[in-house]
Amino acid sequence: MNKFDVIVIGGGIIGLATSYYLLKSGKKVALIEKNEFGSGASCACDDAIFFQSKKPGINLELTIDSIELYKSLSDELGIDLELENKGGMVLIEKEDHLKVMEDFVKKQKKFGLKVDILDRRDVIKKQPHIRKDILASTYCKEDSQVNPLRVMRGFISKSKKMGLEIIKNNIIEIKEKKDGWKVLLEDKKTVESEFVVNATGAWASEIGKMIGIDIPIVPKRGQIAISEAIPSLGETNAWSAQYIVTKIAPELDRNQNEVYKRLGIGFALSQASTGNYIIGSTREYVGFNKKTTYEGIQLILKEAMALFPIFSKVNVIRTFAGLRPASEDGKPIVGEVEGKKGFYIAAGHEGDGIALAPITGKVVADLINGKRVRYNIEELNLKRFKY
Amino acid sequence: MCNEIICRCEEITKEEIEKVIEDGAQTANEIKRFTRAGMGLCQGRTCRGLVERLIKEKTGIEPQNIVPSGYRQPVRPIKIGQLGLKNEQN
Ligand SMILES: Cc1cc2nc3c(=O)[nH]c(=O)nc-3n(C[C@H](O)[C@H](O)[C@H](O)COP(=O)(O)OP(=O)(O)OC[C@H]3O[C@@H](n4cnc5c(N)ncnc54)[C@H](O)[C@@H]3O)c2cc1C
Repeated sequence: MNKFDVIVIGGGIIGLATSYYLLKSGKKVALIEKNEFGSGASCACDDAIFFQSKKPGINLELTIDSIELYKSLSDELGIDLELENKGGMVLIEKEDHLKVMEDFVKKQKKFGLKVDILDRRDVIKKQPHIRKDILASTYCKEDSQVNPLRVMRGFISKSKKMGLEIIKNNIIEIKEKKDGWKVLLEDKKTVESEFVVNATGAWASEIGKMIGIDIPIVPKRGQIAISEAIPSLGETNAWSAQYIVTKIAPELDRNQNEVYKRLGIGFALSQASTGNYIIGSTREYVGFNKKTTYEGIQLILKEAMALFPIFSKVNVIRTFAGLRPASEDGKPIVGEVEGKKGFYIAAGHEGDGIALAPITGKVVADLINGKRVRYNIEELNLKRFKY
Repeated sequence: MCNEIICRCEEITKEEIEKVIEDGAQTANEIKRFTRAGMGLCQGRTCRGLVERLIKEKTGIEPQNIVPSGYRQPVRPIKIGQLGLKNEQN
């Protein structure tokens, strides 16, 4: 019998986290992945649990709780997830960015996040290799990182032990039945369940179309370069204020260079536990194209050299690109679809999906189990896009 | 014991690779992502074939049906300063 309590569609970090928390609550779960695990965004991204980039509100609230879940997951999954708390700095090069950041930091502080602005001297203390004329930076002790590849591997192996059925196949059709859902696969097999979770990231709207709903999520490409393993350059991971401005206040971004704007360059730097630096990234709307471009990689590395001149002597060994699932308003879409009983969405996390995976999985499992969740979860429901 | 090293750059053993195959990895990319085999300085030039052979041994998937791992730029490590960039501000 191919009958399950829940069918989760999509084997990225969100689908895997959701499957895990559902299994943990006793549900019988099947996971359908059409390609390779994490082939969309989850295995082609940075590793940040970055509080400072979140606008005060539900995303920040969820991030705070997600990190608590991560703290216990290494034990639960029996694998070192390389959760580290190095703190994070947003490097500020321009006066007008300083103003934006001061304002942003004030709001975050009001929300309870411990973040400060450092002057040049203190920036150089923490980042001895930074360009000497750096203006200022923010500093948040809480900013952390986790290795998404290890998280994915941990979820898969633990979930398999807990009885997860992994189906690697394409979906042809999704049918609503009186008491649940029926999914028809390319190999002619069918699977049935009471609940379905659409966790297909950048592809979520394609699954939506199969049941006649509109899901406003599009792919936003991010290119990344990986350096050889080198000793640590500074105390924390770092981002350029440009990254924050591009992300949270694109309207303040008018006087930026055309090419940078088109490629959505926002510098992000983090060192993996192996010593390799992850240097990112672009934010481009190019459909489902996952290729890297010379232009994109060049500009990212140019940013790296401009901020940390020593990078000119470091080897880059690999490049790749991932597709962020970008929703229309920058917040994920999580919850049951109105009028489609039992059909849930958990997608659209854009640049926050690694940070938000555990809490998203937990919330979806709680909702399916009819438990109350303590967030204003309606704020993340698809119906917010109905005007 | 089979502590035979498959990926020399990252020092990944045969045992480790067999374990992730048991854990659900089926393609060369999935093995690379979950063990780091092929992610080191040589980017899989040495271990690529060995990994594909292990997949065949463990899963019975025929070599022609094994999805190979991707090739990515740059072909060889390259110094960032040699990318033809001037170190100036935009
Ligand atoms: C360059 C870059 C840097 C990033 N940095 C960070 C960071 O520092 N911190 C952070 O928190 N987040 C970061 N992110 C964002 C994060 O990677 C994503 O938010 C997250 O991985 C999304 O996970 P997902 O499971 O929703 O999507 P995906 O990982 O894309 O998974 C979706 C899966 O669904 C599958 N699928 C699609 N259609 C179907 C179908 N019809 N049937 C079956 N399966 C299907 C796909 O094959 C894919 O495997 C970054 C992203 C990028 C690209």
